[in-house]
Amino acid sequence: MKKYLVGASMAVLLMAGTAYSADYAPVTDARLKSPEPQNWLMTRGNYQGWSYSSLDQINTTNVKNLVPVWAVSTGVDSGHEAPPIVNNGMMFVSTPYSQVMALDATNGNFLWRYKRKLPEGFAALHNTSRGVALYGNKVFLPALDAVLVALDAKTGKVAWEAKVEDWKDGYYMTMAPLIVKGKVLVGVAGGEFGVRGFVEAFDAETGKSAWKTYTIPAPGEPGSDTWQKPDTWKTGGASTWMTGTYDPDANVIYWGTGNGSPWFGDQRPGDNLYTSSTVALDGDTGKIVGHFQYHQNESWDWDAMNAPMVVDFQNGGGLKKGLLTPQRNGYLYWLGREAGGNISYLKSEPYVPQNVFKGIDSETGRPEVDPAHKPGTGKAAQFCPGLWGGKDWPYEAYNPKTNTVYIPSNENHCNNLEGKVEERVPGQWWTGVAIPDFHFTVDTKAGFYGELQAYDVNTGQRSWVKRYPDSMNWGSVLTTAGDLVLAGGTNDRQFRAYDAKTGDELWHFKTNSGVIAPPSTYEVNGVQYIAVASGYGVDPAFQQLLMSDLVGWNPDVPQGGVIWVFAVSK
Amino acid sequence: MQDQDLRSLSRRGALIGTGLAAWISRPARAEDPESAPPQAGDHLVFLTGSKKGQTIRSDDLPAGGPQMQAYPADPNGTVRNGSRLNLVIVAHIGDDGVSDETRAHMADGVVAYSGICSHQACPVSMWSNDRHAFVCSCHGSVYDPRNGAEVLAGPAPRHLAALPLKSENGLLTIAAGFVGRVGMQTS
Repeated sequence: MKKYLVGASMAVLLMAGTAYSADYAPVTDARLKSPEPQNWLMTRGNYQGWSYSSLDQINTTNVKNLVPVWAVSTGVDSGHEAPPIVNNGMMFVSTPYSQVMALDATNGNFLWRYKRKLPEGFAALHNTSRGVALYGNKVFLPALDAVLVALDAKTGKVAWEAKVEDWKDGYYMTMAPLIVKGKVLVGVAGGEFGVRGFVEAFDAETGKSAWKTYTIPAPGEPGSDTWQKPDTWKTGGASTWMTGTYDPDANVIYWGTGNGSPWFGDQRPGDNLYTSSTVALDGDTGKIVGHFQYHQNESWDWDAMNAPMVVDFQNGGGLKKGLLTPQRNGYLYWLGREAGGNISYLKSEPYVPQNVFKGIDSETGRPEVDPAHKPGTGKAAQFCPGLWGGKDWPYEAYNPKTNTVYIPSNENHCNNLEGKVEERVPGQWWTGVAIPDFHFTVDTKAGFYGELQAYDVNTGQRSWVKRYPDSMNWGSVLTTAGDLVLAGGTNDRQFRAYDAKTGDELWHFKTNSGVIAPPSTYEVNGVQYIAVASGYGVDPAFQQLLMSDLVGWNPDVPQGGVIWVFAVSK
Repeated sequence: MQDQDLRSLSRRGALIGTGLAAWISRPARAEDPESAPPQAGDHLVFLTGSKKGQTIRSDDLPAGGPQMQAYPADPNGTVRNGSRLNLVIVAHIGDDGVSDETRAHMADGVVAYSGICSHQACPVSMWSNDRHAFVCSCHGSVYDPRNGAEVLAGPAPRHLAALPLKSENGLLTIAAGFVGRVGMQTS
């Protein structure tokens, strides 16, 4: 190892060379259950989905000296939504179009790259990837064409491939896998194409399917009576397009599900389990052992795709084993982890203004929906927040030091939708409404749209809020024991650090593009780094175009991905 | 190569392989009639609707739009739906306000274009009633049917490939292969 300074303006103490070495550190169940602070082994840092690091070398005192130490272009456009995953000095980042880059985490030296050749004629609504997973000596990439690819972590060579579904029927994959007990768990996107969602587990060593659990019951299965119109369950949605969380002590997996298909609930009468729900799955068999549905007969494109965070909080005078989740429907939920995987409702509060729920049953959590704000077939209705919700997929973060959850959210926007009955063409948009008829509107007098909010998980009180007058917020959050909150998400290309306790902005850096990927942090040879991909695209870019028409925002946020790595200069 | 048939170039091996190029390049099985690109003498069949699978006549199409999705079919009736790159959109737009280039490719007031968006290769299956224009079903790019499917709005980098038509007593027939690049832009 040698020490050197990188440039006059980037004077950073670095350890050069091959920290990953010839001996790759295999990822084990034990390591995933208790990940070392110096590594970032999964998308949200731990099974519980906290997006939290106990590293504190970079903190509120010195973050002002944070400088880039290396960067690398990904060479592709579209939305970069994957965090850098780091295992003992070796970094793995997936990019749009199903590519993976392996880099030396200390200096950005290129180790290998995997580029998937997608099928002729392939197209996806979101050409993104939200990350890879690590297990053993392999890297797992859910490819866009609904094929799970296992790569050798040292070489990038394909170890095996497993077909998950037929992309021609509208299935595609964008989420990072979840590793549970030697199995690679994946879900599917395609809720706008009339798919039937599921979670499937594959043996990490062989690629053989171990179990597959649909998130819409077939006739005769529990919950099938919530699909009152014959055959609607076959194309009913409940996609599973974000990574689940896991309680390893209880051996229960929590996975989020998407909207119903088509979007208008009157075309598929009933509550439609398990759309817009969290399902609890047995960690060995994948069987559904519990569920909570956030709203019934989904009609707003309010997916419940984000799995709840596994968090314990004060409730009823004691510490409760709970689940915490800010949902796309605009409410922050406190749920209970009960015996056997059951999920109980504790309480919920709106974190953005919402005009659809007239109230929520205090016992069951079931909302009373205002029909005036529920769109249907031939029935136009306005609803707020709009279809992108109080927050979309970007991750909130939980900091156990501050007992605070940090939520990237958006408000002052609405949609007015009217449904039509459409013929389904496999693999094509099938929501019942065309994009030109979204009727997206904003409150131009509100003064802001995007925001970053901090809530005390015990009291439910908001601690602070940062508001963005000229941008939405699409930035996943990272929080650390250095009392920091790090996030991008705005259209001005900034990546920012805030004081976790006060919300004061302590540092910012203008990147090449918009930061919509989750940041991660790691330590190699005693140096803590913060890493993030910057690459605007997909829904934020589409929404930006709409905002350019509505309020004159610049429609051209530059695209093209760059991975940035920062450390504190000496 | 802006106005050439990319797939013809691909068959000659002219594409330098990048990850993205693989999306739209056509492998050697182009001889397979189901996957071969539309050719002169083909007709068009509806992909959807009450006449799904039937040959398209100009008076089958709603005057003024929206477009209908279709696949080419060879004179033997083999539908060329073996590749999504063969997806076609066809619309009865009439003669008013049509550019000379588009007029040269239309028949009976009907235009046909590739149905694959030049942005991310999604189907251009939607219609804007406000703009009387085609709209991509993924990211909302808007194409002008009267002017060579030039981009009116959205992220698409270029127009759709045109598919020249002729009419034989109202039966729409393809006059020549795609004019222009089909699908998304290579990097």
